[in-house]
Order: sequence, then C-alpha cells, then structure tokens
Amino acid sequence: MDVDPRLYELIAVNDNDIHNIVMSYLVHNCFKETVESFISCTGMKQPSDRLEDMETRKRIYQFALEGNALKAIELTEQLAANLLEKNKDLHFDLLSLYFVEQVCSRKCTEALEFAQMKLTPFGKEQKYVEKLEDFMALLAYEEPEKSPMFHLLSLEYRQHVADSLNRAILAHANHPTYTAMERLIQQTTVVRHCLNQERGKDGPHPFSLKDFLKS
Amino acid sequence: MGGVEDEEPASKRMKLSSEELRRLSNGSTIKETVAGSPGDLMARPLQSEGGEEVVGSKGVIKKVEFVRIIAKALYSLGYIKSGAHLEEESGIPLHSSVVNVFMRQILEGNWDESVITLRNIGLTDEKTIKSASFLILEQKFLEFLDEEKVMDALKTLRTEIAPLSVNNSRVRELSSYIVSPSYHSSVRSPKQDTLRARSRSKLLEELQKLLPPTVMIPEGRLEHLVEQALVLQRDACIFHNSLDKEMSLYSDHQCGRDQIPSQALQILQAHTDEVWFLKFSHNGKYLASSSNDQSAIIWEVYETGVSLKHKLSGHQKPLSSVSWSPDDHQLLTCGSEEVIRRWDVSSGECLHVYEKTGFGMVSCGWSPDGKWIFSGLNDKSICMWELDGKELECWKGQRSLKISDMEITGDGKQIISICRETAILLLDREAKVERFIEEDQPITSFSLSRDSRFLLVNLLNQEIHLWNIEGDLKLVSKYRGHKRSRFIIRSCFGGLDEAFIASGSEDSLVYIWHRGTGELIESLPGHSGAVNCVSWNPANPHMLASASDDRTIRIWGLSNLSKSTKQKGPQSNGIHYCNGGS
Repeated sequence: MDVDPRLYELIAVNDNDIHNIVMSYLVHNCFKETVESFISCTGMKQPSDRLEDMETRKRIYQFALEGNALKAIELTEQLAANLLEKNKDLHFDLLSLYFVEQVCSRKCTEALEFAQMKLTPFGKEQKYVEKLEDFMALLAYEEPEKSPMFHLLSLEYRQHVADSLNRAILAHANHPTYTAMERLIQQTTVVRHCLNQERGKDGPHPFSLKDFLKS
Repeated sequence: MGGVEDEEPASKRMKLSSEELRRLSNGSTIKETVAGSPGDLMARPLQSEGGEEVVGSKGVIKKVEFVRIIAKALYSLGYIKSGAHLEEESGIPLHSSVVNVFMRQILEGNWDESVITLRNIGLTDEKTIKSASFLILEQKFLEFLDEEKVMDALKTLRTEIAPLSVNNSRVRELSSYIVSPSYHSSVRSPKQDTLRARSRSKLLEELQKLLPPTVMIPEGRLEHLVEQALVLQRDACIFHNSLDKEMSLYSDHQCGRDQIPSQALQILQAHTDEVWFLKFSHNGKYLASSSNDQSAIIWEVYETGVSLKHKLSGHQKPLSSVSWSPDDHQLLTCGSEEVIRRWDVSSGECLHVYEKTGFGMVSCGWSPDGKWIFSGLNDKSICMWELDGKELECWKGQRSLKISDMEITGDGKQIISICRETAILLLDREAKVERFIEEDQPITSFSLSRDSRFLLVNLLNQEIHLWNIEGDLKLVSKYRGHKRSRFIIRSCFGGLDEAFIASGSEDSLVYIWHRGTGELIESLPGHSGAVNCVSWNPANPHMLASASDDRTIRIWGLSNLSKSTKQKGPQSNGIHYCNGGS
C-alpha cells in the first residue's frame, strides 16, 4: 500500500524553500561558480561570507581527495587552528592518507619513518591500535593493492576522509554539516522504514530514491 | 660361520648408506649380513610379515624405528658420542643426510640455504613446506630486528614472508614490530628481556613438530612411550593405594594387597544403639558418627588412634545423618523427620536448631562456601537456610523422598537428591534445569565423589552403580558381592585418588572393590551386625571406618601396622557386645 499521490497535491511547496535547499547543497560542496549563477538567476540574497570559505574548503577537499594530505592539513590549520587537535580521529585519518601515499609510491623508508614519528603516538590509545596495525600491515606487501588491506588505498576511502574533513570545517564555523537535501532523503527513508516495521506488509514500502524519481 | 664374514663385520656395516637402508627394509640383504655375525649381542631380529626387520617377542616393533628413537634419546641425554656410535654401528642413521644438513643450517642461521634444503627433504605436502618456510623466515626477520637491522627485516617481510600467503594475521603482527621496536628499549638494555626471536634450538623444535615424524624424530619420543607403559601399569594395579610406591622400569608395577586397609585396628564403642551413619571430616582429622541412640559423636583422629572428643545430645529422634562444614569447624546433625542441629566442633556446643513447624527434616548438607545449609523435608521439598536460620529458598514438589540422601556439587550449582523410587534428580539451581538418573531398581542411597564428577548409587537389588554426572549422564561401572535386603546400606569412594569403592553389607562384612576394574578385592569380617555405613579417610588412604548395628565403629588400617605396634588383636575401649572375631 503506497501513499495516495493525490495527497501530495494538498501540500504547498514554497519556491524560496526549494531555492534554499539547492543553495545549501551547492555551498556545502563548494560549487562557487554555480552558486553565483544561481543567485543571479533566482534573485536570491548572496550569502557573502560563505563564498570565501567555499573556495578554501574546495581546495582542502581536492588535496585530501588526491591523497596530498600534508597540504590539506596545512590549509586546515590556517583556516581553523585547533580543528585537528579537537578531532583526533580525523587527524589520524589524514596522516594515514599521507602514509598510504608513500606506501603506494614504494617509498618504504620514508613511510616507515613517517609512521614511527607521526602515527605511532596515536597507538597509546587503545582505540587507535587496531587501525594502526591495519596501516602498518601495508608495509609488509610489495604490492599493497593485493594485500588484505587494499581498501585503505581506494578512492572511496579518500573520499570518506575528505568528506569528514569538510564536515568538520563546517561544524567548526557553526555551519550546518549536512545539506538539506541529504537530510530530507534520510528523513523520508527512516520514516518509511519505521512505518514499514510497524505495519508490516500493510504499511508503505521502504523508500527507494530511484523508484521515486522514476514515478 | 663363514671365515670371510667373521673378519669383516665392522666394515660391512659402515658401508651401509641410505640406499642400502631401503634394501634392508625389504629384507633381502639382512640374511647375508647377520647370519654369520659373531658374539650376537644384539636383539635377534625376526622377519615381520611386511618384510621389515622387527624386534621383541610380538613382532610389532620395527627395528629401524626402535634404533632411531634410542639414538634420539641418547642425544637428548647428552651422550653425543654414544649416539653417533650407535648410528654407525647399526648402520641406521637417525636422520637422513639431507635432514642433518637442514638441522645444521638452522642452528647456524643459514636461513636462505635452509629454505632451499627444506624443499629437498622430500615432503609432499605443499602446505607443510610453506608453514615451515614461514617459521624459518620469521626467525630470520626477528633476528634482524634484534640486531636493529630494520630495513633488512622489512625487506625479508616484503619479499620473502608476505608472498608465502600463509598466516596473514602473523604478517600483520610482524609489521607492527617493525614500526615500534623502540617501545621496550627505554629503561632496560635492548638485548635483555626484549629479544623478539626465540633461540634457534627452539625453532628446531617447532619445525620438528611441523614436519612428519619419519623425517625428524619428535623430541622425547622414547620417554613418552615408556611413560605410557608406566601409566597403563599403574592404572591396572588394583591395589595401588600409596603415593610412595615408586614405579620402576625393572619390573611391571604391581602393588600388594598390603596397601589396602584390611585389619581392624580399633573398635569404638560409645554408642548405645545401632550406628547408622558416619563420615570423616574433609581434612581427615575428625570422624562424626550418628546413631539410633539419638546422639552423634565427634571423634578425633590421632597418629596413635581415634578417640572420643564430644558426644552431641539434644535430638529427640534417632539421627539419620551428619554433614561436615567445608572448613570442618562445624557439624550438622539431622534427626529422622525431626530438626537439624548445627554444632561447633571444638566446643561441642549446639549453635543453632533449624526447624519448620509441621514438617520434619530427613537430610542435610552445607553449601560449598559454608554460608548456607539445605535440607530435604518429609513433604518431599528441599529448603535452604542462611546460617542464622533465615529461610532462603524452598523447592516444592517431588524433589525428594521421605528418607533420602542429599548432596550438593562442589561448585554449588547442582543439588542431588532421590526424587522417585528409581530416579535421582540433579537440579541445577541457577539454570533451573533438571536432569535425572533413571534406574530399573529402587535406589536406597547414593554418595558423591570428591571431585563432584561421579555418583555412586546403591540399589535394592544389591548392585552398586557408578555414574558419570558431568555432561551427559552415563553409567560407568557396576559393583556386586555385598548383601542388602532390608536396610539402607551406604557405600563410599576412597583411597588414593578415590580409586576404590567401599560398602557396608547386611552380612556384617565390609566390601572393597577396585573402582576401575570393578574387581572385588577385600571383604573384611569383624562386625557382628549389619554394616550400615563406611567412610574412607580423605587424608589417609590407609584408614577406613565402618558403622554397624552391633553398636560399634571399626577403624580399619593396613595389616603391617598392627603387626608393628605389637598388638595381638584390635584395640577396643570396652565390652564387646558380641564376639568381634579377628
């Protein structure tokens, strides 16, 4: 049983709200030029302070995605001084990106020295020990891509770290860490799931964005 | 016989190489070399059906294997020259030359060569070869780390160990060693406690375990076989009851009957009526007995004998049983369908009386921590009290019979009682699970072993059944011979490691069986009335006590002992009620 589509007609959606949703997405992902053209098309007010920080965040994100962690860290420190100190998990993840880059370039000695200096201090806390061991294990393989820990070398992993960094920077500046769009989709999915659980086969099906977009 | 052979037996033997060994094992060359050998001091070799040379009267010991394990034992003992001489004289090398090379390479640390040699040994299982290579290369890695050659270690890890693709979790560990070798070297010198690599001879032992035993004889093999034989002998010895009876290799172990208590050393007469129950304390220093005369007696056990310590009066009914507290400082006595009394052993004072209005107790026992007691009531329920008398719990329903035994296991988890004529209930207090021992015959009494793993059950039909109550309930042995027709007769475990079963009997004899074999080894005359209960001193495997309708308690001991104390007959402390016999 699905919701009667006619019920949708009863809800009025404000244009302004939609514009805000789109804007939040663009700002979060640092699409600066698109933001500027969107503003001129819709006549929205310009969120002036956000433009600068977008540029910086974009650069940081790019560096992190490429695996150039040291540059990303440098810029982050410039932008938000204590951020990494307060987010040790994030700090570790970023440093590990650098380590992984060294391993991939087969620079074992440098990787080893870097690990001994920068990563092992984290090992004093129990929660980092296993992560640390995961990364160290990469050293044992001449072809780390073929090791059991190959997922640490993947683009998905770097994306995940870059995303976390982005959110942390936004949080630091008291901006929302999730886009409205993400939240809306998450909300719908969770609500539908709860209803589905409660009402069993009588309730609405779990939310599928793909199906929704097709309908 | 032949002149030529006589002159050159030694050189003939030295010529044997590993190829000739192979020929030896299918028997063809043997007859030629051995038939004429002078001064035949060696074991006369026979032919087994398989064609290999054998020694020993049963034809099951292969000569080659026998000599090899002897040589190995000689080397283990440090007799290097003898070992080498044996190899030479017998022509049977302990290890093939390849293996010898391999072992030397390991001990000298020639890792790369040893890995190559490993492949030449002739192993068929690729997995074994890889595991062995892993061990060797791991040692190489760890020794590099100990010498602080970190980059060499890393190279070994990357290029030699990881490609083996075995034991990935160990590879992970080794990686972490590279990164943090400096954790330990802060205070102490790096060489001391913190060497990662074990000794090379330990490595060799590990490799020995990995490789098939025909390639490398396992360490201590001969010693293991001899120990096996000794243990078997000891288990088969039905009179084995003394710790100091050492086992010798010169002759098969067999204790004599003289290790079993068989002489009545003392007759204790202080009860004025039938003695129904008795039990030694856990530490063997005291004995408690209870009687139809409504009293219980605490006896003290001395080097020289047993003497009366306290007479406990107060019950208004005959006493069915007693129970020692786990620390032996207190005693519970139970009147038949009456009350339970708790006594202090040193003063003989009654500390508490447990009763339940309208009901009578039939059995009693202590929790293993000594903090509470439990009892069976004549309404078939089981109750628990704290020491001060506060009732803790009560299980109603068919849990026990009117006259019944009750025990609790050493971990405090299970309560055991007779719940139906032919069944014993094992109730798990926490899990609330019930298990049942079902018999075909009515059960009269039972007794729990010291380790709480076995239960001895007395049946109406004069059989005693031994049950294993750990895990699945299983009947292990049956013991017969004693007589029981009208009364409750009790039996017990006893002797060294509780290797014996003793029981009372209506024919006035005390019966003793060897627990493992079920063989009846003693039936001791002396009492003039039915023997109701026996108890074996847990601290002294040579002391047994029996309680009888003839109002006496007999203390049994080794018959040597009474000879040495120069007593003609057993000591007694008063008038015999009837002729005690010898």
